[in-house]
Amino acid sequence: MAAFDVMMGTGAAAAAAGVLVLRLSWARARRSAGLNAVGWLLILAGISAGMVAAGAWGVAVVAIIAMGTAAVLLGHAALTSPPGRSRPSERRAHMLPGKGEPLHLGQRVLTFLLAVPGAMLSALLVALAARAGAGAADWHEANGNALALFLLPTLWGVFAFLLLMLRRRGQLLLLALPAAASAAILWLGPQA
Amino acid sequence: MTAAIQKDTVQKALSAHAAIGLVVSALLYIVCVTGTVVVFYQEWQRIEQPDAPEMARIAPETVQAGIARVLATEKGKPRTTHLYVHLPVPDLPRTTVTTDHQAVHLDGAGRIAAREENGWSEFLLALHYTLSVPGPVGITIVGALGVMIVALSLSGVIAHPRIFRDAFRLRARDRNGIGLADWHNRLSVWTLPFILAIALTGAVIGLATVGGYGLAAKFYKGDIEATYAPIFGGEGKPDARPAPLPDVAATLRHMAVRFPGVRPSYVILHDPGTAGQHVQVIAEHDRRLIYGENYAFDAQGRFHGAAGLADGEVGQQASASIYNLHFGNFGGLPVKIAYVLLGLALSVVTATGVSIWLGKRERRGVHAPRLRSGWDAVTWGVPLALALTLLARLLIGNSAPFVAIFWIASALFVALAMAWPSRRTKRGMQWSLLASLLGSLAAAIV
Repeated sequence: MAAFDVMMGTGAAAAAAGVLVLRLSWARARRSAGLNAVGWLLILAGISAGMVAAGAWGVAVVAIIAMGTAAVLLGHAALTSPPGRSRPSERRAHMLPGKGEPLHLGQRVLTFLLAVPGAMLSALLVALAARAGAGAADWHEANGNALALFLLPTLWGVFAFLLLMLRRRGQLLLLALPAAASAAILWLGPQA
Repeated sequence: MTAAIQKDTVQKALSAHAAIGLVVSALLYIVCVTGTVVVFYQEWQRIEQPDAPEMARIAPETVQAGIARVLATEKGKPRTTHLYVHLPVPDLPRTTVTTDHQAVHLDGAGRIAAREENGWSEFLLALHYTLSVPGPVGITIVGALGVMIVALSLSGVIAHPRIFRDAFRLRARDRNGIGLADWHNRLSVWTLPFILAIALTGAVIGLATVGGYGLAAKFYKGDIEATYAPIFGGEGKPDARPAPLPDVAATLRHMAVRFPGVRPSYVILHDPGTAGQHVQVIAEHDRRLIYGENYAFDAQGRFHGAAGLADGEVGQQASASIYNLHFGNFGGLPVKIAYVLLGLALSVVTATGVSIWLGKRERRGVHAPRLRSGWDAVTWGVPLALALTLLARLLIGNSAPFVAIFWIASALFVALAMAWPSRRTKRGMQWSLLASLLGSLAAAIV
């Protein structure tokens, strides 16, 4: 058996075992830090083995196997779950106003504008500033451009989430501060 | 962190999760469903045109002859700027030549066998990529939806403090919304690595136009091509003077000798028949996430170097890996099946999210039967509309108006469901979906 097969097989087995250990651990009445750690370490070891065997491809394949193991366990849980009458969660999302409360449509539109075009613009400026920084640090052009292309959606997602967690003043600061700092870097920094 | 702050944070995250989810749910659901189906993009093409010639491999000289035959049919038309030869690969063992004017299959002798007819597969891919909105707007909207999945994942994890602790608890038979919530939470937490990978790669692809314009405007004097050249390699200098066609056979022979371990999947002729022409071969590498490496050749078949997608800069390798990671074509049929199941899970997560929100409102006494029925129509009507387009492809043919069928049917289902909210509407769509799928299966077999 080739070293590749051994390493991938070990990685897949470790990741699947890690999921099983977590299943055991989380089923206990009391939390077991030791068992949790073993589970996560096995998953980490599996992913590392996948990485050593075949880089990002190996990681992707091991991750699919771990998710597949969890899916089997979930399927078992679904099939064996007894009919229940538990009380469902009544947590309100507070998405819409209650009866008689004003709709605050203007505020909602403003929030949307901040979270969608506003956050995108801010993320784009930070991504471009990162590209400028990469250029200044003598990174290869491909790395700098790829960094900017990957940063744009990642930062936008994080900004959009954080924005909705903050009050208006915090929202404006969250967008304005990185955008202003990035604009300054782009204005003063290297142009190529 | 105090318990009070934690509770407040959880509540805000739940509000954020609900807000984002409700705003993007319908479009996101369409992208999820089409993304699940398009995993089998190559297999769908084989179903659409089962008679197209197939072959395990094709000789370099045959490819050369085929290119000459295809270009000979285009005399009198504007010169094609790019000619693509799809070479037989295990998932799609066909040789197809695509120019600016046509796409045709070659047989094993390099003769033109038939026009390529994969209208439905292309419609499906475009629906997933752009929601049928032409130009950069559509793909940017889909990229933004990818971003929103990232935000939904973050807010979802924070809004549910026990999401990992309860990761194996699935009270599937519990009514009153518990089962639905458990499906939503369990599927989302266990598919989280997949969801984040899909969302980020999709967002990078979708927002490449915006990012590319930004980079070009700031660093490349507005030249978009120059932005991507360091990553994927650049175009040659155009020279429109006429020249004999490039020696593609020599190029492919060179590839076989010099790079025996790779599998050429495409030959691309840039400005064929001009003095500025050059040839690019894309070759797949086993056990890699990259879609391939770009090998550059001149018209005489002399090798000029590889772009570096396989072993170049990290940014090149990462950029070349996003397509296969997103579409699941990096490990043959087993990975494709896994991607379809994971895609289905993501579609269920999207659909159940809104249903959970509606259920909570109903338990508080806020009933909105039209809204509930409308969402049911999205959940079942979108796959039904998609199945109807497939049925139209198999019964009417390649020229069926897929875009119109899909969008008109989807809108009609939602409108009808909202006008006459009833359980029977939902049941009717479920049965119609089953009937359409069985009808498609029968039509494909016959």
